[in-house]
Amino acid sequence: MIRPACRERVDLPVPQQDETEERLRPLMIRGLEGDSGAHRQLLGVLGRYLRGYFGRRIGSASAEVEDLVQETLLAVHLKRDTYDRSLPFTPWAYALARYKLIDHLRRRNRSIQVPLEDAGALFAADDAEEGAVRTDLDRLLQRLPERQRSLIEEVKLQGLSVEEAAQKRGVTAVSARVMLHRSLKWLNQALRDENG
Amino acid sequence: MRTADLIELLARDVRATPPGVVNRRLLAAVLAGAAVTLAIVALGLRCQPLLLAAQQSWFWMKAAYTGLLTLAGMVMVRRLAVPGAKVGAAPVAAALVVLAMLALGAGQILFAAPPARLALWLGHTWKVCSPLILLLALPIYACLIAAIRKLAPTRLALTGAAAGFAAGALAATLYGLHCPEQAAPFVVTWYTMGIAAATGLGAIAGGRLLRW
Repeated sequence: MIRPACRERVDLPVPQQDETEERLRPLMIRGLEGDSGAHRQLLGVLGRYLRGYFGRRIGSASAEVEDLVQETLLAVHLKRDTYDRSLPFTPWAYALARYKLIDHLRRRNRSIQVPLEDAGALFAADDAEEGAVRTDLDRLLQRLPERQRSLIEEVKLQGLSVEEAAQKRGVTAVSARVMLHRSLKWLNQALRDENG
Repeated sequence: MRTADLIELLARDVRATPPGVVNRRLLAAVLAGAAVTLAIVALGLRCQPLLLAAQQSWFWMKAAYTGLLTLAGMVMVRRLAVPGAKVGAAPVAAALVVLAMLALGAGQILFAAPPARLALWLGHTWKVCSPLILLLALPIYACLIAAIRKLAPTRLALTGAAAGFAAGALAATLYGLHCPEQAAPFVVTWYTMGIAAATGLGAIAGGRLLRW
């Protein structure tokens, strides 16, 4: 009996990518469960990979790389409820990063082809060297109403937790949280408008 | 602001997020759109005598056809509305449903007496069927697009096409409450054309409307 030739498996996961998946997915899930330390760690690791990926795509010398990293981290944060916990995390992150890159290039009317690759393309090499930004988020924040701006200042600069900041200003923790979340959404939109 | 500071800021905005948000939002959108379309069918077009129609197999043949396509369309929308998910087998399933309907339609044509064939195909309403389905798809499409925009689609034209397809198929299902046509050749031609038009326009509009 002639056995049919085994079809070659082309989608074998690269071991390194497997490791990345095993490291990042638990962080993402814990973040979704409310663990801000895990979320911070995830964004830190992702930021380095994003810098590497965007740098390879549009040139690591480009001043737009860091803008894109920040834009994408904001998107990862604000859209994280679209991640399905039963699925792998790296394809989710890769698809989001690739979309942000395409969106960015399209808004600048640049015609760089962004190939649809395996998620490993994002996690091929990281880059910890933080570059300069062209659009300073601090400058954008100046446009926010005073109440929202000062809440962000307190949380960011003085390192207060949202609860502490809320107590200091005599508002409930819930309303401070809502205000912070809204400000971040606004910031995301403002950054996109600014870069577009 | 340095990226490290931004991350610090984002980490302060962490709250437990319950799973299932995507399903809930899409379901709410499709129900809202369907309610508008149903109102237009019931009040604008008028339903056929439903108690009578529900006893006929052709009524359920049409409902099954467009209902299954709606299901496949919503599965595609669900997959495409978030990053990184594969479209999966839903397009194949939809194609098989259309093929089955084509076979049924071809069978009816073959077994009909030649003079009756044209009537099976054109019915009494072939001129208005596809445009009406396209029109009725609009409210559903609009609601779906509004919901998907708030999620995170990454392949916009494809997602728009899926939303148009699902909206068209659901609109066709609701249109079946009004439309008294009974022949499979009619359904597989004019219903499918309306759904196809919604899919094409959905792709074109989606490429622009879905940017986030």
